[in-house]
Amino acid sequence: MIVRLVLGLTITAVAFALAGRRVWMLYRLGRTAQPVEPGRTRDVPARAWAVLTEVFGQRKLLRWSLPGAAHFAVFWGFVILGATIVEGFGALFQRDFHIPLIGTDAWLGFLEDLFIVAVLVGLAVFAALRLLQNPARTGRRSRFFGSHLGAAWLVLFMIFNVMWTLLLYRGAQVNTGNFPFPHGAFASHAVARLLRPAGRTAGDVLETVGILGSLGVVLAFLVLVVYSKHLHIFLAPFNVALARRPRALGPLLPVYSGGNPVDFEDPTEDDKIGRGAIEDFTWKGMLDFATCTECGRCQSQCPAWNTEKPLSPKLLIMNLRDHALAKAPYLLAANDEVRETLPDDVRAEAQRPLVGAVEAGGVIDPDVLWSCVTCGACVEQCPVDIEHVDHIVDMRRYQVLIESQFPKEAHTMLRNLERAGDPWGRGAAARTEWMAGLPFEVPVLAGGERLPEDVEYLFWVGCAGALDDNAKRTSRAVAELLHEAGVRYMVLGGAETCTGDPARRLGQELLFQELAAQNVKTLDDAGARKIVVTCAHCFNALGNEYPQLGGVYEVVHHTQLLARLVGEGRLTPVHEVDAAVTYHDPCYLGRHNRVFSPPREVLGGVPGLRLTEMPRNRETSFCCGAGGARMWMEESIGTRINETRTDEALATGAEVVAAACPYCIVMLTDGVSTRKQQGRAAEQVRVADISDLLLRSVRGPGDGAAGAASTVDKPIVD
Amino acid sequence: MGIGPGGSVLVLAQRRAGGGLCRSSGALLTLARRLGAPVGVLCGPPEGDAASLGRYGAATVYTVADSRRHPTGVAVEALAVLARRLAPAAILIAAGREGQEVAARVAVRLDSGIVTDAVDIRPGPDGPVAVQCVLDRSYRVESSVVRGVPVFTVATRSVAAREAPVDPVVRRLAVRPAAGVREVRRIAPVGAPAPRRPDLATAAVVVAGGRGVGSRDSFRLVDQVAEALGGAVGGSHTATQLGWCSPEAQVDVVGRVVHPRLYLALGISGSVRHRAGMRAAATIVAIDRDPAAPIFAVADLGVVGDLHEVVPELLAEIRRRRTTDGVNGTFGGAA
Amino acid sequence: MERRLGVRVVVLVKHVPCAAGAPGHAGFAADLRLDRAGRPGQLNEADEFAVDQALRVALRRRDVQITAVTMGPVRAVEALRRALVLGADQAVHLLDDRLRGCDALATSRVLAAAVTRLGFDLVLCGTASADSGMSVVPAMVAERLGVPVLCDADALTVRESTVEIHRDDGAGPEALAADLPAVVSVTGRCGEPRYPRLAATLEARYRPVRTWTLGDLGIDPAEVGRERSATVVRTVTPRRDGGTRVLVDGDPTSVAIRLADFLAERQFL
Repeated sequence: MIVRLVLGLTITAVAFALAGRRVWMLYRLGRTAQPVEPGRTRDVPARAWAVLTEVFGQRKLLRWSLPGAAHFAVFWGFVILGATIVEGFGALFQRDFHIPLIGTDAWLGFLEDLFIVAVLVGLAVFAALRLLQNPARTGRRSRFFGSHLGAAWLVLFMIFNVMWTLLLYRGAQVNTGNFPFPHGAFASHAVARLLRPAGRTAGDVLETVGILGSLGVVLAFLVLVVYSKHLHIFLAPFNVALARRPRALGPLLPVYSGGNPVDFEDPTEDDKIGRGAIEDFTWKGMLDFATCTECGRCQSQCPAWNTEKPLSPKLLIMNLRDHALAKAPYLLAANDEVRETLPDDVRAEAQRPLVGAVEAGGVIDPDVLWSCVTCGACVEQCPVDIEHVDHIVDMRRYQVLIESQFPKEAHTMLRNLERAGDPWGRGAAARTEWMAGLPFEVPVLAGGERLPEDVEYLFWVGCAGALDDNAKRTSRAVAELLHEAGVRYMVLGGAETCTGDPARRLGQELLFQELAAQNVKTLDDAGARKIVVTCAHCFNALGNEYPQLGGVYEVVHHTQLLARLVGEGRLTPVHEVDAAVTYHDPCYLGRHNRVFSPPREVLGGVPGLRLTEMPRNRETSFCCGAGGARMWMEESIGTRINETRTDEALATGAEVVAAACPYCIVMLTDGVSTRKQQGRAAEQVRVADISDLLLRSVRGPGDGAAGAASTVDKPIVD
Repeated sequence: MGIGPGGSVLVLAQRRAGGGLCRSSGALLTLARRLGAPVGVLCGPPEGDAASLGRYGAATVYTVADSRRHPTGVAVEALAVLARRLAPAAILIAAGREGQEVAARVAVRLDSGIVTDAVDIRPGPDGPVAVQCVLDRSYRVESSVVRGVPVFTVATRSVAAREAPVDPVVRRLAVRPAAGVREVRRIAPVGAPAPRRPDLATAAVVVAGGRGVGSRDSFRLVDQVAEALGGAVGGSHTATQLGWCSPEAQVDVVGRVVHPRLYLALGISGSVRHRAGMRAAATIVAIDRDPAAPIFAVADLGVVGDLHEVVPELLAEIRRRRTTDGVNGTFGGAA
Repeated sequence: MERRLGVRVVVLVKHVPCAAGAPGHAGFAADLRLDRAGRPGQLNEADEFAVDQALRVALRRRDVQITAVTMGPVRAVEALRRALVLGADQAVHLLDDRLRGCDALATSRVLAAAVTRLGFDLVLCGTASADSGMSVVPAMVAERLGVPVLCDADALTVRESTVEIHRDDGAGPEALAADLPAVVSVTGRCGEPRYPRLAATLEARYRPVRTWTLGDLGIDPAEVGRERSATVVRTVTPRRDGGTRVLVDGDPTSVAIRLADFLAERQFL
């Protein structure tokens, strides 16, 4: 007994020392990072609920049924089998130790054994999945492509070791009579039966070997955990607890430096704008990198990765993590003299630019950084709530504002925003062109006036809705529908300027702040309370981001309003629109803002439409490719995102591809045109906004009163 | 302080690169006849051109020796000297880069008012009245000069040249630039052929094709027109996507932004993204099948038709004019 | 104590009403001054190219000082601020109520006086301005300064004591040179201006902007301003037909002839 106690405590001490040293280093590394922005501990109930559902309920993992169930088993296995660790340590001191009160109950024994088996089954499932999706065979299509496969197999192996040594110990304990559970522990008893022929003395030896082996493996695993991606088992609950709530989607955060917002009117010398080096990230960012499990669910959903671009959210996070760890000695060094004495490879690591080409030793390649469409599919999938999009935009901010290094096509968009207030440079006076030809006068709020009391909505037309020939149809359709329903609304006309969304997604935060401040002033001077928009990006910016500048409005998407009007009987879609239709969820409406049903309700209310969902819909919708300011950049790597999504839509057999955002409409229209040109799409396939289809049903076909909305059916594609 | 009708009007005549006088000179002389007695000013070796000026009513023609090494110096000097000598009712110069420069410098020399890009000039009670179209041609403005000898640059394309033959008196004028004045000098021969197709960013002429072109084969037409006009080839977003032209040729908000003097759009509807790439063009010509295409709202000349039929005809017409030009020599054709 | 700097570049810039508006949105005052709709006003687009060209000269040599100069009302300082962000080291605002209504002659006189007072080796301008088409001011300023002028440059190269330009107006390329000091006006073909860094935007807020009046320039007020304008506008009439936008259709041959006529009239053939 003494031997096992001494040995047991010794290996425990050694393991804790090793693990502790590593944990201490990681903690100090986190301290070299920036303080976190405020709000991370706000709304404790929501955070508690998130931990409950996501960590203990494994909610996000269970979205993928098989790996999710297996992980559920393994996770709960770890939790429940914590009891066996207590029992094991207790047994070092007292041979027949059992947990007080419940330590001999059959249900506990059963539970422990059940989960040992469940974990083993789970491991088998994991192994099978890793073999089936071996990237050596399936390449980029595997979500494990780029993950550290050797380390992953080692972890699986170690968990396996934990399990079988545990079973060995428990079986031996049964035979020596020291096992706490007379009933219930079916697996342990089964193992005991196998071991019984070895005899009593062997049984004692096996028990001692078993307990030391079991504890030893667990402790070795502990050390392995803190040195590998498996650290997530300790970090994930914290990462989930401190994540942005309700989710790291929707609004982007303003620029913070040292935990305080940066005032672009008067920034200080030390203000860090964006992320130019690994230590510029906040400690929460570092926590994100350390929590990554390399599961690859994000990678599997990424539109960029799926179209042969070098961006994988998983690889991005892994690269940042590996760089942080490699640079840690440099960052933790007490002063420059110590830094001089560091090994060459550490000092070389410290010289690497955060964003730069491979030749320059960059940690993140610019093509990786700029391929992102900020669709958030990665954030949606991540089981440990890593905030990929925020990190990408923060790195972009540094590149744009500090280095002025970004795709030069975007210069055009930025200059147009600065000079004309819209990305195409047409100017304020062109914003009323869309109204021409409507059978009624669209009410425009005169400059300097306030909205009359009886005007319920300010209709924010947006740049695309006013200036893009294909998106103007949506604006006209919505105006007609609102007019038909008797909704009192007004538009701002030339007083609108771009919401600033493309500037912010690109990383030009200063320009965003200027545009947003201008719009907030315009909206407040007009006395706007309720705003209806047709663009998902305007929806997100006005509703979620403008409050950061003091502009608080009730923003509703046109599909939400139209659905409500149809529901209230103020719009009656009576005419049949006989078409097979599919609906594309815009990222900024659906995933970022959880508006999935209203567009479908509207479609469902139109007689004759037959809706077929695309395989990737709602939360897993596949981006059209225009987000993240990519609408304003040329796509020159891999295949085209919009064409990929178009193919998915065409595969449903739909004649009408419905969307609810002008960016999506532009991209899908482009895709459909290209496919038609290539003979891969039928001539009658068209792309239409939800409002367009509703208007047809309300007005009827070929009705002249439908104005310009029904005249030019073919899109303007150059 | 102009002199009323009957006084002289100085007209700066210009030569074409290949020889012979520009059509604009005839138009200027026609206008000058309304205002007074036209006096032609011709820089460079006279040859038969002085007589041609007489065809359009110039009773007196001054010729000034000009080696053309310095593009505008001699013309400025000559007009200033003659203006002081003759106190004319007006000085007419063809609008254009050189004319603009000459007019500006003469106006300063004489401390005279100047009106540029006039589309018409008529006599008025207090001196000639010039008509301009401003702000994207949406307003018509009439102005006159109240100090000095009125200097006008005229966009002669809207002025018809009408003959009124006389036998001109040709006088030689010697001008000597003031000592110590440093002039601009040419460092390459005028009219030297462009070495190769110019780059899109710096081209003065851009010919671009869009979806209406239809295929990569048909894109040849775009190349041919560009070659004929000495311009660069561009393509719309679709044309680039479909591989009809190189990605570097994309004229679009996500491609190149061009600033040419002439933009010729073939089979391009004129989506807002395309317009963002070419809205800075000084003159826009579009050929497209759809009369409702947005490009026609910004084109200075819009042709509704099938470019596959129009372009070959255009190329033939250009070839025809280039061969007959050399034969005719003077005011033939439209050049 | 003034240090004699290597190359002194002066960029003449203009503050103009914002991006193109549709007809009917601009109003006229009697002296052709435009109503400003939407955003107030900004640096003339062509002048951004001029400032950028000055910056390119400065990046190739280490001893260049760039001064942006504008003549305009109080608001015109915004154009100078933008020029400072784009690369000018300092700016001068010629501000005087009595300058209202200046014609091109008076404007060039005032600008030339300012440029003389600053001392210069090279004066740069944009070729056209958004609200008044091709500008005569560069050539006038050069004439008053007694230096050569190189108009409508598509490409600009500054050498030790000369400047070379290339230009092509559609009728054929030309290459010209002149000795410094000289005036050069640049077109949009000379290259897109670089996008300023945040640091430049912030730092430009602290660069000096001096204000000069007629007294500082030694110009008699009686010789400038609306009263002294050498041209007078008699009438302004809006055009119903929206200008000379011509739409042509018909058989390909006649259409091609009209096209060729159009091109020839404008010297493109």
